[in-house]
Amino acid sequence: MVDASTFNGQLRLTGMANLEGLTIPDGVPSMGAWGEGFVDRRHPHTYAHEIMLSGQQHFSEETVSGASFAMGKGFAPFGSDDPMVRPFLSYPVNHHLAQILERLVAVVAVRAGPVIAEAGVFNGDEPTGPDDWPELSRFGDSWSGRLTLLPLPGLEVQGSYAELNSPEHEGGEGLDQTKWSTSARLERATRAGRAYALLEWASTEEGGDVFAYHSVLAEAALHGRVLGLAYRFERTERPEEQRADEPFRTIRPQLDNSILGRSRWSIHTVALDAALADDWPGLSVAPFVEVSAGRVTSLTPASFDPVAFYGRDTFWSITAGVRIGLGMRLHRMGRYGVALPEMPAHDASPHHEMMH
Amino acid sequence: MLLAVALAACSDSTEPPPSPTPTAVTAFDGDNQQAQAAVALPQPLRARVTDAEAQPVSGVTVSWSVVSGGGSVSPTSSVTDANGIAATTFTLGGHAGAQTAQAAVTGLTGSPVVFTATLILTSSHDIALVATVPIPPNYGMHDTYVRDGLAFAFAWNTGVRIYDVGNGIAGGTPAAPARVGSLVTNGSVDATDPSVHNGWWFHNPATNETRYLFVGQEGPGSIGTSSRGDIHVVDVSDLAHPVEVAFFHHAPVDGQPAGVHNFWMDEEHAILYAAYYNAGVVALDVSGTLSGDLSSRVIDEIRPGGAGNTYVWGVMLAGDGSLYASDMLSGFWHLKLQSGAFSVLGGGNNVAQQFTSDLWVHGGAGYSGTWETRTLPGNDVKVWNLSSGNPVASAAIAIPDVGTISDLQVSDDGRWMAVTAEYGTGAGLYVYSLANPLVPALLASFPVASPSGGLHTGTIASINGRDYVFAARDPSPESPAMMIFDVTEAVR
Repeated sequence: MVDASTFNGQLRLTGMANLEGLTIPDGVPSMGAWGEGFVDRRHPHTYAHEIMLSGQQHFSEETVSGASFAMGKGFAPFGSDDPMVRPFLSYPVNHHLAQILERLVAVVAVRAGPVIAEAGVFNGDEPTGPDDWPELSRFGDSWSGRLTLLPLPGLEVQGSYAELNSPEHEGGEGLDQTKWSTSARLERATRAGRAYALLEWASTEEGGDVFAYHSVLAEAALHGRVLGLAYRFERTERPEEQRADEPFRTIRPQLDNSILGRSRWSIHTVALDAALADDWPGLSVAPFVEVSAGRVTSLTPASFDPVAFYGRDTFWSITAGVRIGLGMRLHRMGRYGVALPEMPAHDASPHHEMMH
Repeated sequence: MLLAVALAACSDSTEPPPSPTPTAVTAFDGDNQQAQAAVALPQPLRARVTDAEAQPVSGVTVSWSVVSGGGSVSPTSSVTDANGIAATTFTLGGHAGAQTAQAAVTGLTGSPVVFTATLILTSSHDIALVATVPIPPNYGMHDTYVRDGLAFAFAWNTGVRIYDVGNGIAGGTPAAPARVGSLVTNGSVDATDPSVHNGWWFHNPATNETRYLFVGQEGPGSIGTSSRGDIHVVDVSDLAHPVEVAFFHHAPVDGQPAGVHNFWMDEEHAILYAAYYNAGVVALDVSGTLSGDLSSRVIDEIRPGGAGNTYVWGVMLAGDGSLYASDMLSGFWHLKLQSGAFSVLGGGNNVAQQFTSDLWVHGGAGYSGTWETRTLPGNDVKVWNLSSGNPVASAAIAIPDVGTISDLQVSDDGRWMAVTAEYGTGAGLYVYSLANPLVPALLASFPVASPSGGLHTGTIASINGRDYVFAARDPSPESPAMMIFDVTEAVR
């Protein structure tokens, strides 16, 4: 991970290498997850998850208003934060509805007081594997815009729109997508630690109005000096696509641009963690346990019956582990230059590493 | 007193020993044999039942059954002899690879005992790949139609490509196809991309015309709900410069768009039968000159499975005028068009474990493919006994390690069948002997293996006395291509 700036912060390089392609090449089980050829497993990200260079200029020394330009491999200005920097280990089902990431992207942002406007162009193709790079020839075939309001300290409200050219077919012959997202994000320092909440709605229409998928998600976390408690609920629709010989993989590219049907996943997740090793500068150790319970229903019952396919339509999962951080904190991914709102003051709790 | 003692002693010595209690069943012999399809293994399968002292137990009934491979056992139960041995004969099915049968005795240790046998290919000759014709990766290539030495490749957004593969007009051969023309057909109101999927070159016996090529457009769809894509009619009088002259667009069904899939033609009566997914089966009058909108040419249409249970993949006309249809959701149907009206004669709702794909009928047998997993993987070729006209499930041939059987076709003489398979290490081309039409026996195979690819379709063609399969290679992991296989030696 790199986060370096120069010229008094006017030029900034942010980046993150991601080795999931080595550690979880076959993804990791995740209830309802889908995308990039995986299903019911979250896909590994690309090795170069983010490499963005941004230049920004404030209109005066006393104001946060200014303009910036960022370019590199990273996030299109659309939707909410990367789940990687949110309180849960398990990704939400709506990852591919609510974020557009790992693209060759150029973003212009302008901030005037509490208003941030961003526009970006990028390549529509999503990665096909951890070592995949964006198709250079497709740079600029897709675009997005995001408008963010900062009405109160720590509170941001955004609405965004994107038009993607053939994200699921590298050659550009697949279905195009139109995406909408709106969310409200609150992050506040408390006497003991921090409070965080996100309320999100996202929608993707594919092939004009041929297929439509919607998602609502609400999550909140409260962190004290040691313990943290987080809860997430989401209700997300996803495509049901033909599976490959391996049941956790779908066919890429999907033949005939057709799908089996659509399903809706409703999932509750609760996470509890404890921040240890607080006395060691730069080191964080946070054991956690995360429990999810969910139900899947078919929106096209003739073609996809979850009970027939899975043997049941309710699921639960439990995940336990330890997050270990050493060195710099995770930065907030998905915003660059003046589009990155200043963070509220907070303490040095390792919990921040899970959310920034 | 002495007598009494003597009687007592005699009585003790003549009492039968206590019956041994069977405790275990094991394989005695017969495991790991080989045979051809529909042929019994050289040696019977034998299981041995013993007691706690490892002594044989007679009189125990052993149940025999086939676990995998589609073969049969006879008898299905047998009783152990004085050596504790029970036996059965295992006749192999047509499945590729290993086949298994088991011996079971309830409550005994080791039950069930599984015996494995291996199918021997009935042809010692390989399938020969004679040409791989690259297709631009504009999504892929879906189907081929071969007739009179011309191959029509239906290549999605690349359109239709016409190759001389033995016709003589451009000197092409199956090993060196020569392109003579191409056309990108129009989109439709529901689907803007050409999405060229399949076709049929109409030879009109009444006029001897070979003017029209019907092209199917496959737009995006959702199984059981919606589909998109029109029939496009192309004038191929000048093969070098084909021209689209007419189209047929189906109106929405229950508020959902409907699109076309595979064709069959009754050329004698100039009727085009089109599988129309959620719209069922549509019969079109294609006699005379075709121009513009053909919506007035509908003879009749039918949704054999009814609303919500119809998504027809393919249709085929049999020699007796019966029309058979394969429906992804509701299976294998027997239909008929009489006096301009469709009727259901039988079949249907007979494949529940997978989605049904393509079909073929020949003589008294029918065949259909399967794809995707409903409760079982879609790797079966279903065999249907059509001796009564209506389909009766006869057998199922599983191709291991594939996710889809997407296409199948029987040779004109009924001797053999080509099957294409996708998605898995077993993906590729398979050819079967139909010496016994209800028990296809694997002759040979050619792997085009890929977790996300393989061969999507295969079309049989006889060119200059040799037998070929023209196959469409999926766009993953390699580029799409038309692969041409010479199967002459394998199917002889």
